[in-house]
Amino acid sequence: MRTPMVASVLAGLLSLPSAAASAEAQPAQPPAQQAPAPQQTPEQRDAAARKKLEEDIARELGQGGAKAPAVQGQPAAGSQGQPAGAAQGGTGGNPMARLLLLPDVSAIGSFAGALDTYDVEARSPREGLFGPRYRPTPIFEEVELGLQSVIDPYARADIFVSFTPDGVDVEEAYLTTLSLPAGLQIKAGKFFAPFGRQNQQHPHLWDFVDAPLARNRLLAAEVLSGPGVDVAWLAPLPWFTELQVAAQNTAPAPEDEERLTGVGRLLQYFPLSEATTLGVGLSAARRSEATGAFRDLGAVDVYLRARPLASRSYVTLQAELYTRKLRNVEGESGTGGYAQLFFRRDAYWGYGIRYDRAPAAGDAAPGPEHRFGAVGIWYPSEFQRLRLQISYDRAPDGRDGVEALLGLEFGIGSHGAHPF
Amino acid sequence: MKTFRMNRIALAALLVLSAPARASAALKVVTTTEGLAALAREVGGDRVQVDSLSRGIQDPHFVDANPMLAVRLRNADLLVDVGLDLEIGWLPPLVNQSRNGEIQPGGARRFTAASAVQVLDVPTGPVSRAQGDLHPGGNPHFMTDPRRVLKVAEALAARLSALDGGSAAYYGQRLQDFQRRIQAAEARWEKELAPVRGRKMFTRHRTMTYFFDWSGIVSDGELEPRPGVPPPPSHLADLVVVAQRDGVKAISVENYYDTKSAEVVSRHSGARIVLVPGDVGGEPGVTTYEKYVDTVVGRIAGALR
Repeated sequence: MRTPMVASVLAGLLSLPSAAASAEAQPAQPPAQQAPAPQQTPEQRDAAARKKLEEDIARELGQGGAKAPAVQGQPAAGSQGQPAGAAQGGTGGNPMARLLLLPDVSAIGSFAGALDTYDVEARSPREGLFGPRYRPTPIFEEVELGLQSVIDPYARADIFVSFTPDGVDVEEAYLTTLSLPAGLQIKAGKFFAPFGRQNQQHPHLWDFVDAPLARNRLLAAEVLSGPGVDVAWLAPLPWFTELQVAAQNTAPAPEDEERLTGVGRLLQYFPLSEATTLGVGLSAARRSEATGAFRDLGAVDVYLRARPLASRSYVTLQAELYTRKLRNVEGESGTGGYAQLFFRRDAYWGYGIRYDRAPAAGDAAPGPEHRFGAVGIWYPSEFQRLRLQISYDRAPDGRDGVEALLGLEFGIGSHGAHPF
Repeated sequence: MKTFRMNRIALAALLVLSAPARASAALKVVTTTEGLAALAREVGGDRVQVDSLSRGIQDPHFVDANPMLAVRLRNADLLVDVGLDLEIGWLPPLVNQSRNGEIQPGGARRFTAASAVQVLDVPTGPVSRAQGDLHPGGNPHFMTDPRRVLKVAEALAARLSALDGGSAAYYGQRLQDFQRRIQAAEARWEKELAPVRGRKMFTRHRTMTYFFDWSGIVSDGELEPRPGVPPPPSHLADLVVVAQRDGVKAISVENYYDTKSAEVVSRHSGARIVLVPGDVGGEPGVTTYEKYVDTVVGRIAGALR
């Protein structure tokens, strides 16, 4: 179903190189010869003639006279194709040539230590980091291997392989188009569903050591993700407005069967001032569970970021509300969410607090489970951080407990930057 | 095969319908820094509309990859960046988000200023982050050297002319005017710098390599023992000893950096702290490249005299 779609897009893209080649083959008018003149200027005449020639060539190449706007306005032939900083090499060429073609390679390791004063598995079952009651537990969380590069002038690839105690998994591996027209961008492969804010972030982007309960309980045990296609449209508006529609196979829990899921998301960012930005996202997803049975998900997310321009410190407020409705499927519908405030004091220290609310699970009585957490982060450099998170958890029946998590994370190699 | 053809036609139609309106009006030039924006204004005059993604008061290494900036890149006719990984932490995701394929590195509408510059501090031995957060391609802070900036302006004029051939003569004229003004100013700057040539000073980060190369002032060390690494007391103590031994009179600190370590060294060694704007726009009144160099030269020469 989605393979032909990708193929057709690729086929369309593949038609571009020939057009590009034909455009480049045109000798450019040396600027010096273009003297201004009254009425129709020579430039306009040249432009008209050149346009006609391009159409003729396109016709000869079998492109129905349609020209590819993606190559409009090329600079004069000869000014391209030379990598920036190209210089005369020594004899024998560049011995590093093969290295230059390697993709960016990075590895991010995360380890944790957990200490719980309550039986998490029975009372508050969740994916993530916890240990048996009153027993300090070291945990190997993950090593994420990243391979990132442009594929060709038309697309890039990002591959993240995750090594965990459960084994090896391709976390994400997708192609992203770079030059589709009309503000469109297509992502194809396996990727995190464009649903909510945190679901699209790898754990090393989180301020807190673990995911909010509500994400675990309502969206997916780990992350809502799977193979599929995502089309994102950047609306031609003066502020950032992106509409995403994705079709992908997801399995909310490891034991679930992969099923087709439609996801939609509208994300907007508004500049409130030079130093303050507000992001608001609305997401919806429907997973077909069986004939006439659906799992419907909805989310609202808010992200407010204030950072004085000349400073490294910032404050962010991030909140998400999730709701799940099960139609003709066993299980419970529910609502939950979290809100967190984070203060990055300087390059080296950051502090956050979080409130978390989700439908209780395990042997707890039905009702909302609450969690209050605080995190302190030390960044010895940009490439590692040490986090201490203390959370207080209260089940609907009043039973409570405390958890301490110590997280260590480091990154090596070149890992592509992330939008905030 | 047939479906492929159909799809190709459909895609071609889509491409035509959505052709970005690159009107004959002013070229939209987006730069990563205000210094580059100032150069684009000098060369482009009223035929370009210039927009800088960061402000001169910001540390260009640490700009937020705010998606709002991707919106500004979307219709850019030309993206001018410094290069040498200065903007590595924020520019690539914005360019990817922008949907503007031609401003990708190496693209027809991307001009990386470093490509016009003879780069210094290029690591020759093995590179690792044990050496701090260094720039493996070389030092990107070349805007402090007017000679190199003229090279950038020249290459920028050539690129603008390539994109907008009709205005080539205009850009050439503007470039000449700019060159003439900078060369005249250079005579003035040289007079200010002559008495302090050969004197030694400290900098906070290795931002002044090109300034030293041009001015003849000599670096006696950086407050950061390694790029991006905060100075431990032992390193600052070493600097105090060096300052007393060599008669270091000044410590330059870009105004977006914290001055705490500079104050300590200053207190113990008597060297004066010279706060300088990091770029054009780094201070009120520093609105052009010429004024930026005026400010930096004036303050540093003043402190070293």
